[in-house]
Amino acid sequence: MPAVPIAAPTIEPGLQPGPDSGLRSAEPSYGGPVRVAFVGKGGAGKSSIAGVFARLLARDGAQVLALDSDPMPGLAYSLGVPNRETGIPAEAVEEYEDDSGRRRHRLRAGLDAGAAIELYSTVSPDGVRLLQLGKTRGVKGENSLSHQGYQAILDALQKQRSAEPDSTGSLADWAVVGDLPGGTRQPFFGWGRFARTILVVVEPTPASLLSGRRLARLAEKASAPHVVAIANKTREEADADLVQARTGLQVIGEVPFDPAQREADRRGVALLDLDSDSPMVAAVTRLVSTLSAKEPVR
Amino acid sequence: MLGQLDSADGAVVADFEAGLGTVIRMGDRPVDVVVLVTEPTVKSLEVASRAADLVRDHKLGRLVVTANRVRDDADVTRVQAAFPDVDVVMVPDEPAIVAAERRGEAPLDAAPDSPGVRALVGLADRLLPN
Ligand SMILES: Nc1ncnc2c1ncn2[C@@H]1O[C@H](COP(=O)(O)OP(=O)(O)O)[C@@H](O)[C@H]1O
Ligand SMILES: [Mg+2]
Repeated sequence: MPAVPIAAPTIEPGLQPGPDSGLRSAEPSYGGPVRVAFVGKGGAGKSSIAGVFARLLARDGAQVLALDSDPMPGLAYSLGVPNRETGIPAEAVEEYEDDSGRRRHRLRAGLDAGAAIELYSTVSPDGVRLLQLGKTRGVKGENSLSHQGYQAILDALQKQRSAEPDSTGSLADWAVVGDLPGGTRQPFFGWGRFARTILVVVEPTPASLLSGRRLARLAEKASAPHVVAIANKTREEADADLVQARTGLQVIGEVPFDPAQREADRRGVALLDLDSDSPMVAAVTRLVSTLSAKEPVR
Repeated sequence: MLGQLDSADGAVVADFEAGLGTVIRMGDRPVDVVVLVTEPTVKSLEVASRAADLVRDHKLGRLVVTANRVRDDADVTRVQAAFPDVDVVMVPDEPAIVAAERRGEAPLDAAPDSPGVRALVGLADRLLPN
Protein backbone atom coordinates (compact mmCIF):
# COMPACT_ATOMS: atom_id res chain seq x y z
CA MET A 1 0.00 0.00 0.00
CA PRO A 2 1.43 3.39 -0.92
CA ALA A 3 2.06 5.87 1.82
CA VAL A 4 -0.71 8.35 2.38
CA PRO A 5 0.62 11.74 1.31
CA ILE A 6 0.21 14.58 3.73
CA ALA A 7 -1.61 17.46 2.11
CA ALA A 8 -0.31 20.96 2.55
CA PRO A 9 -1.81 22.58 5.62
CA THR A 10 -5.07 24.24 4.78
CA ILE A 11 -7.43 26.09 7.02
CA GLU A 12 -11.04 25.56 6.17
CA PRO A 13 -13.15 28.66 5.97
CA GLY A 14 -15.06 29.12 9.17
CA LEU A 15 -12.66 27.02 11.16
CA GLN A 16 -10.20 29.81 11.66
CA PRO A 17 -10.54 31.39 15.08
CA GLY A 18 -12.04 34.80 14.63
CA PRO A 19 -14.65 37.11 16.06
CA ASP A 20 -17.53 35.46 14.22
CA SER A 21 -16.49 31.85 14.23
CA GLY A 22 -17.68 30.90 17.68
CA LEU A 23 -14.14 29.73 18.39
CA ARG A 24 -13.08 32.80 20.26
CA SER A 25 -9.54 33.28 21.37
CA ALA A 26 -8.74 33.51 25.06
CA GLU A 27 -10.00 36.76 26.47
CA PRO A 28 -8.24 38.55 29.28
CA SER A 29 -11.38 38.74 31.39
CA TYR A 30 -11.20 36.24 34.16
CA GLY A 31 -14.21 35.62 36.31
CA GLY A 32 -14.25 32.52 38.43
CA PRO A 33 -12.21 29.41 38.91
CA VAL A 34 -10.69 27.55 35.96
CA ARG A 35 -13.06 24.99 34.49
CA VAL A 36 -11.48 22.98 31.72
CA ALA A 37 -12.17 19.70 29.94
CA PHE A 38 -9.45 17.76 28.13
CA VAL A 39 -10.67 16.02 24.98
CA GLY A 40 -8.99 14.35 22.01
CA LYS A 41 -8.09 11.03 20.49
CA GLY A 42 -7.20 8.14 22.80
CA GLY A 43 -3.48 8.23 23.51
CA ALA A 44 -3.12 11.93 22.70
CA GLY A 45 -2.10 12.67 26.26
CA LYS A 46 -5.28 13.97 27.93
CA SER A 47 -4.82 12.15 31.23
CA SER A 48 -1.11 12.84 31.46
CA ILE A 49 -1.55 16.56 30.94
CA ALA A 50 -4.73 16.83 33.00
CA GLY A 51 -3.07 15.25 36.06
CA VAL A 52 -0.12 17.62 36.00
CA PHE A 53 -2.42 20.55 35.26
CA ALA A 54 -4.73 19.81 38.17
CA ARG A 55 -1.91 19.46 40.70
CA LEU A 56 -0.13 22.61 39.54
CA LEU A 57 -3.39 24.51 39.76
CA ALA A 58 -3.79 23.26 43.34
CA ARG A 59 -0.23 24.33 44.14
CA ASP A 60 -1.26 27.79 42.98
CA GLY A 61 -3.85 27.80 45.73
CA ALA A 62 -6.97 26.73 43.85
CA GLN A 63 -9.47 24.26 45.28
CA VAL A 64 -9.40 21.67 42.52
CA LEU A 65 -11.82 18.96 41.54
CA ALA A 66 -10.51 16.47 39.00
CA LEU A 67 -13.24 14.64 37.13
CA ASP A 68 -12.36 11.39 35.41
CA SER A 69 -15.09 10.55 32.90
CA ASP A 70 -13.04 8.01 30.98
CA PRO A 71 -13.72 4.36 31.80
CA MET A 72 -10.07 3.70 30.93
CA PRO A 73 -7.82 4.24 33.93
CA GLY A 74 -5.69 7.32 33.51
CA LEU A 75 -6.18 10.37 35.66
CA ALA A 76 -5.67 8.53 38.97
CA TYR A 77 -2.20 7.52 37.76
CA SER A 78 -1.16 10.93 36.54
CA LEU A 79 -2.39 12.51 39.76
CA GLY A 80 -0.58 9.91 41.83
CA VAL A 81 -3.70 8.66 43.59
CA PRO A 82 -3.23 5.11 44.89
CA ASN A 83 -6.93 4.35 45.25
CA ARG A 84 -8.07 3.79 41.70
CA GLU A 85 -11.72 3.00 42.19
CA THR A 86 -13.52 5.98 43.59
CA GLY A 87 -16.97 6.86 42.41
CA ILE A 88 -20.29 7.91 43.85
CA PRO A 89 -21.71 4.92 45.73
CA ALA A 90 -25.20 3.71 44.85
CA GLU A 91 -26.48 4.67 48.33
CA ALA A 92 -25.87 8.33 47.53
CA VAL A 93 -28.41 8.27 44.71
CA GLU A 94 -32.19 8.11 44.80
CA GLU A 95 -34.83 7.61 42.17
CA TYR A 96 -37.77 9.98 41.77
CA GLU A 97 -40.53 10.73 39.30
CA ASP A 98 -40.45 14.04 37.50
CA ASP A 99 -43.60 16.05 36.66
CA SER A 100 -44.29 13.96 33.58
CA GLY A 101 -44.00 10.79 35.60
CA ARG A 102 -40.63 9.76 34.22
CA ARG A 103 -38.18 7.91 36.44
CA ARG A 104 -35.13 10.02 37.13
CA HIS A 105 -32.23 10.07 39.53
CA ARG A 106 -30.69 12.62 41.85
CA LEU A 107 -28.39 12.76 44.82
CA ARG A 108 -30.30 11.62 47.89
CA ALA A 109 -32.16 14.18 49.98
CA GLY A 110 -29.84 16.29 52.12
CA LEU A 111 -26.79 15.61 49.96
CA ASP A 112 -25.81 18.48 47.69
CA ALA A 113 -23.14 18.23 45.01
CA GLY A 114 -20.53 20.04 47.08
CA ALA A 115 -21.03 17.66 49.99
CA ALA A 116 -20.94 14.65 47.67
CA ILE A 117 -17.61 15.81 46.27
CA GLU A 118 -16.14 16.16 49.75
CA LEU A 119 -17.49 12.78 50.80
CA TYR A 120 -16.73 10.60 47.83
CA SER A 121 -13.62 12.00 46.19
CA THR A 122 -10.08 10.83 46.89
CA VAL A 123 -7.38 13.33 47.70
CA SER A 124 -4.22 13.35 45.61
CA PRO A 125 -0.85 14.82 46.53
CA ASP A 126 -1.15 18.64 46.42
CA GLY A 127 -4.75 18.28 47.57
CA VAL A 128 -6.63 17.70 44.33
CA ARG A 129 -9.99 15.96 44.83
CA LEU A 130 -10.52 13.15 42.33
CA LEU A 131 -13.95 11.89 41.42
CA GLN A 132 -14.34 9.04 38.98
CA LEU A 133 -17.23 8.02 36.82
CA GLY A 134 -16.58 4.49 37.92
CA LYS A 135 -14.73 1.98 35.86
CA THR A 136 -16.52 -0.51 33.70
CA ARG A 137 -16.34 -3.83 35.45
CA GLY A 138 -18.06 -7.06 34.56
CA VAL A 139 -21.70 -6.88 33.63
CA LYS A 140 -23.06 -3.85 31.83
CA GLY A 141 -25.17 -1.48 33.85
CA GLU A 142 -23.72 -2.70 37.12
CA ASN A 143 -22.68 0.77 38.15
CA SER A 144 -25.55 2.69 36.65
CA LEU A 145 -26.65 4.27 39.94
CA SER A 146 -23.14 5.40 40.53
CA HIS A 147 -23.10 6.87 37.00
CA GLN A 148 -26.33 8.75 37.75
CA GLY A 149 -24.73 10.26 40.83
CA TYR A 150 -21.78 11.40 38.77
CA GLN A 151 -24.14 12.93 36.22
CA ALA A 152 -25.96 14.77 39.01
CA ILE A 153 -22.68 16.43 39.97
CA LEU A 154 -22.01 17.40 36.34
CA ASP A 155 -25.51 18.89 36.19
CA ALA A 156 -24.88 20.95 39.30
CA LEU A 157 -21.57 22.20 37.92
CA GLN A 158 -23.17 23.05 34.60
CA LYS A 159 -25.92 25.04 36.28
CA GLN A 160 -23.35 26.87 38.31
CA ARG A 161 -21.30 27.62 35.20
CA SER A 162 -23.86 30.02 33.89
CA ALA A 163 -24.39 31.69 37.25
CA GLU A 164 -22.77 35.02 38.04
CA PRO A 165 -19.00 34.80 38.59
CA ASP A 166 -19.35 36.07 42.15
CA SER A 167 -22.25 33.77 43.00
CA THR A 168 -22.05 31.89 46.24
CA GLY A 169 -23.03 28.30 46.79
CA SER A 170 -21.13 25.17 47.59
CA LEU A 171 -19.65 24.79 44.10
CA ALA A 172 -18.67 28.34 43.27
CA ASP A 173 -15.08 28.05 44.44
CA TRP A 174 -14.14 24.80 42.79
CA ALA A 175 -11.77 24.81 39.88
CA VAL A 176 -12.58 21.78 37.72
CA VAL A 177 -10.29 19.73 35.49
CA GLY A 178 -12.07 17.07 33.45
CA ASP A 179 -10.49 14.12 31.67
CA LEU A 180 -12.92 12.99 28.99
CA PRO A 181 -13.15 9.73 27.06
CA GLY A 182 -11.26 9.64 23.79
CA GLY A 183 -13.05 10.31 20.55
CA THR A 184 -15.71 12.63 19.35
CA ARG A 185 -18.88 11.52 21.03
CA GLN A 186 -20.55 14.65 22.33
CA PRO A 187 -17.70 16.02 24.37
CA PHE A 188 -19.02 19.54 24.42
CA PHE A 189 -22.42 19.20 26.00
CA GLY A 190 -22.03 15.71 27.40
CA TRP A 191 -19.11 14.96 29.67
CA GLY A 192 -17.67 18.40 29.09
CA ARG A 193 -20.74 20.41 29.92
CA PHE A 194 -19.27 21.85 33.12
CA ALA A 195 -16.32 23.42 31.28
CA ARG A 196 -15.70 27.04 30.38
CA THR A 197 -12.85 26.05 28.14
CA ILE A 198 -12.46 22.86 26.14
CA LEU A 199 -8.88 21.85 25.51
CA VAL A 200 -8.38 19.59 22.52
CA VAL A 201 -5.15 17.64 22.93
CA VAL A 202 -3.60 16.94 19.54
CA GLU A 203 -0.44 15.12 18.55
CA PRO A 204 1.31 16.15 15.34
CA THR A 205 0.41 12.84 13.67
CA PRO A 206 -2.06 12.51 10.79
CA ALA A 207 -4.54 10.41 12.81
CA SER A 208 -4.51 12.77 15.78
CA LEU A 209 -4.74 15.86 13.55
CA LEU A 210 -7.74 14.38 11.78
CA SER A 211 -9.43 13.69 15.08
CA GLY A 212 -8.64 17.24 16.24
CA ARG A 213 -10.16 18.66 13.10
CA ARG A 214 -13.32 16.61 13.59
CA LEU A 215 -13.65 17.90 17.12
CA ALA A 216 -13.17 21.46 15.89
CA ARG A 217 -15.96 20.98 13.34
CA LEU A 218 -18.29 19.50 15.94
CA ALA A 219 -17.50 22.32 18.32
CA GLU A 220 -18.40 24.84 15.70
CA LYS A 221 -21.63 23.10 14.77
CA ALA A 222 -22.63 22.93 18.40
CA SER A 223 -21.45 26.51 19.01
CA ALA A 224 -19.46 25.20 21.93
CA PRO A 225 -18.33 27.92 24.27
CA HIS A 226 -14.58 28.16 23.98
CA VAL A 227 -12.52 25.53 22.27
CA VAL A 228 -8.75 25.66 21.86
CA ALA A 229 -5.97 23.18 21.18
CA ILE A 230 -2.88 21.93 22.97
CA ALA A 231 -0.14 20.49 20.79
CA ASN A 232 1.30 17.50 22.63
CA LYS A 233 4.41 15.37 22.12
CA THR A 234 5.91 17.97 19.83
CA ARG A 235 9.42 17.29 18.60
CA GLU A 236 10.11 20.13 16.25
CA GLU A 237 9.35 23.77 15.95
CA ALA A 238 6.81 23.40 13.16
CA ASP A 239 4.62 20.94 15.10
CA ALA A 240 2.47 23.48 16.94
CA ASP A 241 1.86 25.40 13.70
CA LEU A 242 0.85 22.18 12.03
CA VAL A 243 -1.72 21.53 14.75
CA GLN A 244 -3.11 25.04 14.41
CA ALA A 245 -3.27 24.88 10.62
CA ARG A 246 -4.83 21.42 10.44
CA THR A 247 -7.38 21.76 13.19
CA GLY A 248 -8.20 25.42 12.70
CA LEU A 249 -8.04 25.78 16.47
CA GLN A 250 -5.93 28.29 18.28
CA VAL A 251 -3.03 26.48 19.93
CA ILE A 252 -2.72 27.92 23.43
CA GLY A 253 -0.05 25.56 24.67
CA GLU A 254 2.65 23.27 23.45
CA VAL A 255 3.92 20.27 25.39
CA PRO A 256 7.12 18.68 24.08
CA PHE A 257 7.68 14.95 23.86
CA ASP A 258 9.10 14.12 27.27
CA PRO A 259 10.83 10.80 28.00
CA ALA A 260 10.24 11.38 31.73
CA GLN A 261 6.48 11.09 31.15
CA ARG A 262 7.00 7.76 29.40
CA GLU A 263 9.06 6.53 32.32
CA ALA A 264 6.46 7.69 34.84
CA ASP A 265 3.85 5.79 32.87
CA ARG A 266 5.90 2.60 32.84
CA ARG A 267 6.31 2.71 36.58
CA GLY A 268 2.73 3.76 37.25
CA VAL A 269 3.69 6.94 39.11
CA ALA A 270 2.80 10.59 38.59
CA LEU A 271 5.27 12.61 36.52
CA LEU A 272 5.33 15.28 39.24
CA ASP A 273 6.48 12.67 41.76
CA LEU A 274 9.18 11.34 39.44
CA ASP A 275 10.70 14.46 37.93
CA SER A 276 9.14 17.80 38.63
CA ASP A 277 11.77 19.66 36.58
CA SER A 278 10.97 17.89 33.35
CA PRO A 279 10.09 19.79 30.15
CA MET A 280 6.50 18.58 30.26
CA VAL A 281 6.00 20.02 33.75
CA ALA A 282 7.47 23.33 32.60
CA ALA A 283 5.10 23.39 29.63
CA VAL A 284 2.03 22.61 31.73
CA THR A 285 3.08 25.28 34.22
CA ARG A 286 2.85 27.80 31.37
CA LEU A 287 -0.51 26.37 30.39
CA VAL A 288 -1.84 26.84 33.91
CA SER A 289 -0.85 30.49 33.95
CA THR A 290 -2.30 31.08 30.49
CA LEU A 291 -5.63 29.64 31.53
CA SER A 292 -5.76 31.09 35.03
CA ALA A 293 -5.25 34.52 33.58
CA LYS A 294 -7.38 34.27 30.53
CA GLU A 295 -10.41 32.10 30.99
CA PRO A 296 -13.30 34.02 29.49
CA VAL A 297 -16.27 34.91 31.62
CA ARG A 298 -19.32 32.92 30.71
CA MET B 1 -22.62 -6.38 10.49
CA LEU B 2 -19.67 -8.34 11.76
CA GLY B 3 -21.99 -11.22 12.54
CA GLN B 4 -22.90 -11.47 8.86
CA LEU B 5 -19.41 -11.70 7.54
CA ASP B 6 -18.76 -15.13 6.17
CA SER B 7 -15.07 -15.47 6.67
CA ALA B 8 -14.68 -19.03 5.53
CA ASP B 9 -12.39 -18.00 2.67
CA GLY B 10 -10.71 -15.00 4.16
CA ALA B 11 -9.50 -13.44 7.31
CA VAL B 12 -11.19 -10.59 9.10
CA VAL B 13 -8.98 -8.41 11.24
CA ALA B 14 -10.93 -5.95 13.37
CA ASP B 15 -9.36 -3.07 15.25
CA PHE B 16 -11.57 -2.22 18.21
CA GLU B 17 -11.76 0.72 20.52
CA ALA B 18 -9.66 0.95 23.62
CA GLY B 19 -10.77 -0.54 26.87
CA LEU B 20 -13.00 -3.34 28.01
CA GLY B 21 -16.18 -2.23 26.24
CA THR B 22 -15.66 -4.38 23.18
CA VAL B 23 -14.88 -7.50 25.15
CA ILE B 24 -17.95 -6.97 27.30
CA ARG B 25 -20.19 -6.37 24.28
CA MET B 26 -18.95 -9.42 22.42
CA GLY B 27 -21.16 -11.32 24.82
CA ASP B 28 -21.44 -14.89 23.70
CA ARG B 29 -20.23 -14.48 20.12
CA PRO B 30 -16.75 -15.91 20.03
CA VAL B 31 -14.09 -15.20 17.43
CA ASP B 32 -11.11 -17.31 16.39
CA VAL B 33 -8.50 -15.27 18.18
CA VAL B 34 -8.64 -12.35 20.54
CA VAL B 35 -5.40 -10.36 20.33
CA LEU B 36 -4.89 -8.36 23.45
CA VAL B 37 -2.50 -5.47 22.94
CA THR B 38 -0.87 -3.99 26.00
CA GLU B 39 2.00 -1.68 26.78
CA PRO B 40 4.52 -2.41 29.52
CA THR B 41 3.02 0.24 31.79
CA VAL B 42 1.31 -0.48 35.10
CA LYS B 43 -1.88 1.15 33.84
CA SER B 44 -2.04 -0.70 30.55
CA LEU B 45 -1.24 -4.05 32.15
CA GLU B 46 -4.04 -3.55 34.65
CA VAL B 47 -6.60 -3.09 31.88
CA ALA B 48 -5.14 -5.96 29.88
CA SER B 49 -5.34 -8.44 32.73
CA ARG B 50 -8.96 -7.54 33.33
CA ALA B 51 -9.65 -8.00 29.63
CA ALA B 52 -7.85 -11.37 29.63
CA ASP B 53 -10.03 -12.53 32.53
CA LEU B 54 -13.15 -11.59 30.59
CA VAL B 55 -11.95 -13.34 27.44
CA ARG B 56 -11.27 -16.53 29.39
CA ASP B 57 -14.43 -16.39 31.53
CA HIS B 58 -16.66 -15.91 28.51
CA LYS B 59 -14.67 -18.23 26.26
CA LEU B 60 -14.48 -15.58 23.56
CA GLY B 61 -11.67 -17.21 21.63
CA ARG B 62 -8.03 -18.21 21.69
CA LEU B 63 -6.12 -15.56 23.59
CA VAL B 64 -2.93 -14.06 22.22
CA VAL B 65 -1.28 -11.34 24.26
CA THR B 66 1.17 -8.93 22.73
CA ALA B 67 3.11 -6.24 24.54
CA ASN B 68 4.02 -3.25 22.40
CA ARG B 69 6.82 -0.70 22.94
CA VAL B 70 8.90 -3.01 25.08
CA ARG B 71 12.15 -1.24 25.84
CA ASP B 72 14.23 -3.19 28.34
CA ASP B 73 14.38 -6.12 30.75
CA ALA B 74 12.41 -4.19 33.35
CA ASP B 75 9.56 -3.94 30.82
CA VAL B 76 9.73 -7.66 30.01
CA THR B 77 9.65 -8.52 33.70
CA ARG B 78 6.65 -6.29 34.34
CA VAL B 79 4.74 -7.85 31.46
CA GLN B 80 5.56 -11.41 32.48
CA ALA B 81 4.53 -10.70 36.06
CA ALA B 82 1.11 -9.60 34.81
CA PHE B 83 0.75 -12.64 32.52
CA PRO B 84 2.66 -15.47 34.22
CA ASP B 85 0.91 -18.25 32.25
CA VAL B 86 1.01 -16.66 28.82
CA ASP B 87 3.70 -16.67 26.15
CA VAL B 88 3.48 -12.96 25.41
CA VAL B 89 4.62 -11.68 22.01
CA MET B 90 7.03 -8.85 22.83
CA VAL B 91 7.24 -6.03 20.27
CA PRO B 92 10.19 -3.72 20.86
CA ASP B 93 9.88 0.04 21.13
CA GLU B 94 10.56 0.96 17.52
CA PRO B 95 11.55 4.48 16.47
CA ALA B 96 10.91 3.53 12.83
CA ILE B 97 7.22 2.91 13.64
CA VAL B 98 6.92 6.26 15.41
CA ALA B 99 8.57 8.02 12.48
CA ALA B 100 6.27 6.28 10.00
CA GLU B 101 3.21 7.32 12.01
CA ARG B 102 4.29 10.93 11.95
CA ARG B 103 4.60 10.74 8.17
CA GLY B 104 1.28 8.95 7.82
CA GLU B 105 2.92 5.88 6.33
CA ALA B 106 2.30 2.22 7.03
CA PRO B 107 5.19 0.75 9.04
CA LEU B 108 5.20 -2.33 6.83
CA ASP B 109 6.01 -0.12 3.82
CA ALA B 110 8.30 2.31 5.59
CA ALA B 111 10.49 -0.05 7.60
CA PRO B 112 9.79 -3.70 6.81
CA ASP B 113 13.14 -4.86 8.17
CA SER B 114 13.13 -2.99 11.45
CA PRO B 115 13.01 -5.18 14.56
CA GLY B 116 9.63 -3.73 15.56
CA VAL B 117 7.96 -4.54 12.26
CA ARG B 118 9.57 -8.01 12.16
CA ALA B 119 8.09 -8.70 15.58
CA LEU B 120 4.67 -7.74 14.23
CA VAL B 121 5.11 -10.14 11.34
CA GLY B 122 5.90 -12.80 13.94
CA LEU B 123 2.68 -11.92 15.71
CA ALA B 124 0.73 -12.41 12.49
CA ASP B 125 2.21 -15.90 12.16
CA ARG B 126 1.01 -16.74 15.63
CA LEU B 127 -2.56 -15.93 14.65
CA LEU B 128 -2.80 -18.54 11.93
CA PRO B 129 -4.42 -21.81 12.98
CA ASN B 130 -1.68 -24.12 14.19
N1 LIG C 1 4.37 15.05 26.28
C1 LIG C 1 4.53 13.72 26.32
N2 LIG C 1 5.75 13.17 26.14
C2 LIG C 1 5.93 11.84 26.14
N3 LIG C 1 4.96 10.94 26.32
C3 LIG C 1 3.71 11.41 26.52
C4 LIG C 1 3.42 12.81 26.55
N4 LIG C 1 2.09 12.95 26.77
C5 LIG C 1 1.59 11.71 26.90
N5 LIG C 1 2.54 10.77 26.75
C6 LIG C 1 2.38 9.30 26.75
O1 LIG C 1 1.41 8.98 25.77
C7 LIG C 1 0.63 7.87 26.19
C8 LIG C 1 -0.85 8.26 26.19
O2 LIG C 1 -1.05 9.27 27.15
P1 LIG C 1 -2.43 9.40 27.97
O3 LIG C 1 -2.30 10.60 28.82
O4 LIG C 1 -2.74 8.12 28.63
O5 LIG C 1 -3.43 9.66 26.76
P2 LIG C 1 -5.03 9.78 26.77
O6 LIG C 1 -5.45 10.05 28.17
O7 LIG C 1 -5.30 10.93 25.84
O8 LIG C 1 -5.54 8.49 26.22
C9 LIG C 1 1.14 7.49 27.57
O9 LIG C 1 2.06 6.45 27.39
C10 LIG C 1 1.85 8.74 28.05
O10 LIG C 1 2.90 8.45 28.94
MG1 LIG D 1 -6.74 8.89 29.38
